[in-house]
Amino acid sequence: MMELAKKQTATQSQKLMVFVLTMALYGLATLFTELIPQFQAGIVEFSVEYFLFIPLTLAMLFDPLSAALGAATGELVFSEIMLGQFGGLGELEKFLTVTIGVYIAGRMVKDPRNRKMVGIAAITGTGLQLLMGTVVDILKVQFAVEDFEAVAGLPESVFATEGFAFLNDLLFSGILFCLLPTLFLVPKLYGKIEPLLGMRPRDEKTWLGGVNVKVVVGAVIAFAVACAAELLASSGLSLVEWEASWAESRTALAIGMVVAAVVVVAVLVVLKCKNRKEKVTQS
Amino acid sequence: MASKTKKKLSENILDKFSIDFLRNQVLKNAYGNDDTVIAKLDPRILLIWYLFLGLVPWFVSDLWFLMGCFLLVLVTTKLARVAGLVLLLFGIGVFTQTGYLFIVALFFGGDASTIAPLLVLTLKVATCSLASVTVFSGLDPDRLSNGLMWYGCPERLSFSISYAYRMLPMLMEEFQNILLSFRMRGNPPAHVTVWGKIKYLFYQVKVVIHAFYPLMLNTAKRSRTTVEALEIKGYRYAAVNPQVKKMKLSTLKVTYNDLLFLAVSFLWIALCVLASTLF
Repeated sequence: MMELAKKQTATQSQKLMVFVLTMALYGLATLFTELIPQFQAGIVEFSVEYFLFIPLTLAMLFDPLSAALGAATGELVFSEIMLGQFGGLGELEKFLTVTIGVYIAGRMVKDPRNRKMVGIAAITGTGLQLLMGTVVDILKVQFAVEDFEAVAGLPESVFATEGFAFLNDLLFSGILFCLLPTLFLVPKLYGKIEPLLGMRPRDEKTWLGGVNVKVVVGAVIAFAVACAAELLASSGLSLVEWEASWAESRTALAIGMVVAAVVVVAVLVVLKCKNRKEKVTQS
Repeated sequence: MASKTKKKLSENILDKFSIDFLRNQVLKNAYGNDDTVIAKLDPRILLIWYLFLGLVPWFVSDLWFLMGCFLLVLVTTKLARVAGLVLLLFGIGVFTQTGYLFIVALFFGGDASTIAPLLVLTLKVATCSLASVTVFSGLDPDRLSNGLMWYGCPERLSFSISYAYRMLPMLMEEFQNILLSFRMRGNPPAHVTVWGKIKYLFYQVKVVIHAFYPLMLNTAKRSRTTVEALEIKGYRYAAVNPQVKKMKLSTLKVTYNDLLFLAVSFLWIALCVLASTLF
């Protein structure tokens, strides 16, 4: 009986396996989506940006947290860092929203053979991720552009484009690239892929339990962090605002900076030359 | 004649965007330029440099300063010899972030006055992303992950970076092979008419999704092998051991070149600040 109770959660190395698996697969997929240009038919954007079905599927079959973190890391490493598109602190937002969406979807599924639940979880996870992204995007533009309200036509256009993009993504990419593939893959992989990692398929016994208060609170905190990171990355205009009162000394300060920089460069060049000469004389 | 040229052009573009081309570009970006000035710099110094140019422009809205930063990262990007595809993606990215906002703003009754704040926004976005292009695709992946580790990033992240760069060529090849075998056995719908083309598109999407089924099983097997190999080498123990970390990072060394790079950047920024105070 103790043995059974212990088997409920995966071991550390199995979690690492799930992490590596999700990272490699989702990373590969996001790399392609990053490289394939998006094409538009009329107003409907055929953005193939959503291979989210991969981590969703794996989160429903394996440990949800490892799969979620693996997916987010995979996206970060493969498509952002490898292609040199790393956006600094702002990437934290994407990382956290993907993690939350995938994790919650993974926790929702009790029996992967139950197609209805798989479908509901898949669309909930996708919707959550998209919604959080939309909220953050609107806030971001609001903070990044000075005098947001003053720019003619900008506030309405931001709400309109972001809202439309959300609906479009959810209804088009969400159904076509998240719901249907997940519905296809989860029952097909169930029972086949788990033995490859040396695990038992998920059932009532090995299930982690549904979405409870703890998960929700964790998700809300993570989302708040995501918002804060994104806003910190894009706002803070007032943080380093030049004060008008010391406007005269600004020029002096700038000249001081230039002089200091010139001195540093000169010293470094001299030191470098000296170093080279020493090396030559030594050899 | 015109339709022929058009057909040829579209074929040309399709040729360009084959998986092989993508793979070559990515590999070139990752491994192809380790002999540039940027790649020889110390990753820690470059990360500090990136931290400045990736963050500070967001907080400043002075046009002179932003222009100066933008020119600086433009030069370093040129020095890093970044692959063409990445630069193209950068262009598209900047446009989709701000350019289309301008068009939509025009649609909602904005006018030329909308340009000024958007230009500032565009410069900010462009500077930050070019700085990241310089650092993250100019540097060797191993050096980059070592640099990140020195700053105390989780071991998991630097492991992921090293793993990704080594596995990616294999994964891409495998994915391509699976796609090709699907194509060989499959019977795609005729795509002459518009309806046929739509059906063809859906067929392609379906093939890609189906291709992930064998890929998932194969990768599952492979990741088990990887993790078992790591466990044999005591990876999870080594990941948290400070002595191992010290040994790993002993190759990092700051030279005069690195300091010179920082100093010249600083000089340029200082000149920009001076310019912004004078004009």
